[in-house]
Amino acid sequence: MKKLSIITAACLILSACTEKVAEFPIGAAGPIYPDYMDVTVPAGIAPLNFCYTAPGLKDVETVFSAGGKEVKVKGTKVRIKEKDWKMLLAEAAGGDITVKSSAVDSSWAIHVSEDGIDYGLNYRLIAPGYEVHSKMGIYERELGSFSQRPLLENTQFDGCVNCHAYNRGDPVDMTLHIRGSHGATLIRKDGVMQAFNTKTDSTLGFCVYPYWHPERRYVAFSTNTTRQGFHVGQEKLIEVFDLDSDLQVYDVTGNQVITKPTVKKDSLWETFPAFSPDGKTLYFCAAQAKPIPAEVTEIRYNLYKTSFDASSGTLGDDVETVIDASSFGKSVSFPKPSFDGKYLMYTLSDYGNFSIWHHESDLWLLDLETGQSRSLDELNSPDTDSYHNWSSNSRWVVFSSRRDDGLYTRPYISHVNADGTFTKPFMLPQKDPAAFYSNLMYSFNVPEFVTGPVPFDKISAQKMINSPERIQFGFRWSD
Amino acid sequence: MNRRQSFVCIAATTLFTAAAFLFFGLRYPYHIHYQEQLQLFQFGSDYFLQVTSVPGGLADWCGRFLTQFFYYAWAGAAICALLLCLIQVLTWKLAGRNGFTTYALSFIPAAFCWFHLCGEHSIPGALVALAIALAAALAVSRISSRKTALILYPFLVPVLYYICGGLVAVYLLAVPVILCRRFSFKVIVPCLIIVLVLGAASPLVARQLFNYPLKRLILGIHYNRYPHMVAVWMWLAALSVPLVCLVKESVKARTDALTGWACLVGAAIFCVAGVSLNSDREKEEHMCYDFMVRYGMWNRIMMKADMKNPDKPFTVCCLNLALGQSGRMEQHQFEYFQNGPQGLLPDFMRDCTSPLPTAEAYWALGMVNTAQRYYFEAQEAIPDFQKSARCYKRLAETNIVNEDLQVARKYLIPLTKTLFYKGWAEKALAAVDDGSIGSWPEYSKEKALRFKENDFLFSDKEMDSMLGKLYLENRGNRLALDYLISYALLGKDIPRFAEFLSLYEGTPLPKPYQEAFLLYWASSHNGPEGLPDFISRDVLNNFQAFVTGMQQGQDANQLGGRFGKTYWYYYYFRFNG
Repeated sequence: MKKLSIITAACLILSACTEKVAEFPIGAAGPIYPDYMDVTVPAGIAPLNFCYTAPGLKDVETVFSAGGKEVKVKGTKVRIKEKDWKMLLAEAAGGDITVKSSAVDSSWAIHVSEDGIDYGLNYRLIAPGYEVHSKMGIYERELGSFSQRPLLENTQFDGCVNCHAYNRGDPVDMTLHIRGSHGATLIRKDGVMQAFNTKTDSTLGFCVYPYWHPERRYVAFSTNTTRQGFHVGQEKLIEVFDLDSDLQVYDVTGNQVITKPTVKKDSLWETFPAFSPDGKTLYFCAAQAKPIPAEVTEIRYNLYKTSFDASSGTLGDDVETVIDASSFGKSVSFPKPSFDGKYLMYTLSDYGNFSIWHHESDLWLLDLETGQSRSLDELNSPDTDSYHNWSSNSRWVVFSSRRDDGLYTRPYISHVNADGTFTKPFMLPQKDPAAFYSNLMYSFNVPEFVTGPVPFDKISAQKMINSPERIQFGFRWSD
Repeated sequence: MNRRQSFVCIAATTLFTAAAFLFFGLRYPYHIHYQEQLQLFQFGSDYFLQVTSVPGGLADWCGRFLTQFFYYAWAGAAICALLLCLIQVLTWKLAGRNGFTTYALSFIPAAFCWFHLCGEHSIPGALVALAIALAAALAVSRISSRKTALILYPFLVPVLYYICGGLVAVYLLAVPVILCRRFSFKVIVPCLIIVLVLGAASPLVARQLFNYPLKRLILGIHYNRYPHMVAVWMWLAALSVPLVCLVKESVKARTDALTGWACLVGAAIFCVAGVSLNSDREKEEHMCYDFMVRYGMWNRIMMKADMKNPDKPFTVCCLNLALGQSGRMEQHQFEYFQNGPQGLLPDFMRDCTSPLPTAEAYWALGMVNTAQRYYFEAQEAIPDFQKSARCYKRLAETNIVNEDLQVARKYLIPLTKTLFYKGWAEKALAAVDDGSIGSWPEYSKEKALRFKENDFLFSDKEMDSMLGKLYLENRGNRLALDYLISYALLGKDIPRFAEFLSLYEGTPLPKPYQEAFLLYWASSHNGPEGLPDFISRDVLNNFQAFVTGMQQGQDANQLGGRFGKTYWYYYYFRFNG
């Protein structure tokens, strides 16, 4: 027993915390980290725990109040019990939680929206690196708690995993790419997952960026010949660019990719497809082909749209320019129409299509009724704000931003007001956000809302990936 | 065993441990350092939970804890030797201490473990796993209460599986051999069935809980740095333990002494032969060069190269960096084997070792982003997904120089939780936070060297252009000029060399440059008339002798004696790639 005590004590010493250092980014804006002052949250969100950024604070008391009820939390790391937080949210639904602190002069509010948010987020966690990848995976985070579970990790196979996509957040339909020696595209429809070889003799290469058609029969894909370049200067690290790209629509039922010369031009690089919520329009980005890498900074993508007939699986002959970004020296990426059909959110950067590595990338919103675009200043930061997605009810958006430290993307969530404005975004809550985000050496990549837990059989997926069997995509030209 | 045999036992174990210690300390020290640089052991509950959250994780954590001391080669050697000793002693005790033959054979599992440690990607934690499983087997086999022993034996299977991983097999198989000595088959067999069921069920249950293929859950998640590689030596060690236990039953007391001596000699031969076959001197040499580059031991590199000329891109790259850093490149580069521009700045390869000296070269040149990429990629290429303290330190530094201080903090904070990098990391972190880090001399110097006016995409096909821009932005960047001129010389691009030579301002002109210039001159002139006066008479005479030799049809061997260290010799007889 004595020996056991010694061993236990030794373990505790070994795992004891070393001298404390500030875990939040130095110079973090505002007195608290993450900045949850005056943000709007859904009623089902996990506790907005935070810490105070001012050094040397002692005996801090934070008081949360809503509907006449109060919750007091002591200490510089503010951790609210889930039970108390739920009570506060319930009391404040449609109103505010008021927060008063002995460490901050004025009180602030946390607005609680009555608009519901989806069950959770799916994202890839990956180190923001170059060509080689270490451990990574696709993870599911429940928004109502701090629970995160891995769906698929590359400890299960040799390769990397990327570009997960769902149909309007419905976890039943899903696509997922595996890269490397076990390369495949996993597609699940009606609960059946299969592994496909998406490269055909008639198309450029493997399918890349996916977008599900609302009627669930089709998935639009781009196919890209992508390369990386590496800056030698101080400001930027990586440039990712295409040498060619085309669009195609995969017919899940008929196992055929469908394309048309209008979206498969040699002179034009088409990418980032996205169906309109009624499924009749296919938005995409395209740029005039130019010598790469010599003119990489001259590649600018416009936003286009073409019609799509789901009944016959045909792409239209019409290709219409929606945003002529190249005319004002900018480039569009990640077009995402809201599911209520009102808006289309996109990323605008100086050039190229890999805006996630561009510090100047900002989010913009196109009003589909008026055709007017505006910069989403209420969401944007001085650093990269790029990948984004709408919740299934189009009342919330999630987007990735490097504003925290300039390198690691973190998910931020914002509420969409009825007038098309957005509330101050809040960082995905964590139990101990300062420690969590400080210790996490991964970026949150491609955050996607899901309306429920993703039914994912990791063992059968693993077997499928490690098996050499792949179903070959067929091909046909669109009428 | 008689007293003499007991003495021999103590002596042999001591000798074995000492031999292992000396082997790792003298012959294999850079493998020890290599292990340390491919991990980032952190004190703290987060890291502990992260490592121990998989089957075998606790043994792995212990292994990583010990491996951090490999920062010092002799400490690492002592740890390896003690682990091997522990396994030998545990095997001996488990098999039954009173047989001399058993004692002799108890070296076999330890010898297999030694072979395991000879592999560059073998994980020391596997030895910890085996030792824990052996200790548990020993403890259970020594429990005097029959009931307790028979309950504890199956109960510990899943527990040990979680602590040690697949090497729990040694416990599954060795314990019944020992218990058979005390209990009847009728008692043992049902217990054994339960144990085997639990043993088989453990990885199957783990498969539902952890994201690993069944094969890895059975054979060990982390006994080897490469996930698809089976730690064969460790498995042979584990499987040999029950065999050693069985031998005890079959050796008769009358012949024990004789058999024991024979086995002891055999085990010694087996051990020496196995270690000799499994140790890789070439890799040790590579690791040695890498170590010396890491710590800037430029003179030691050249002393080593003087004893044995490096001839691999990896080692040549290290040597060239040492020549450049010590200001000897322009004068002495061609006194050593050269293998073209790849020996200067080798192309990136996706592994965790080869990019490191190249990264150091880019760092020294001031190509901070490229250095950062090489460090980062080397770290990402660590097959078992561990991080590297060495790389973290450099990545913190590249981010400090690039003034990405928030990112630098992210690398520094984990380093403050280490044993050997903590001091530096805490100082650096404090300086980052108070804004004084930029004034640290090493970073001021690096900032002066790096690209400031130019930004373009890195291209290994335009290395000379990049080096040229680097030098033109900062004429004090002597290494960039050395590499620029060397790049042309190694690529045998004499016109480019002549172009770059105009940037060189030193006098007298280094001998290899004079030699290369004479080749340039000879390509456009019929004689030495009008030759610039920076060409010395000696070099000109030598060149004439070399040309005469060539005209007489002398081959590389004949010319090598006198001209082997000249640029002309390299130009005509080396690197035809």
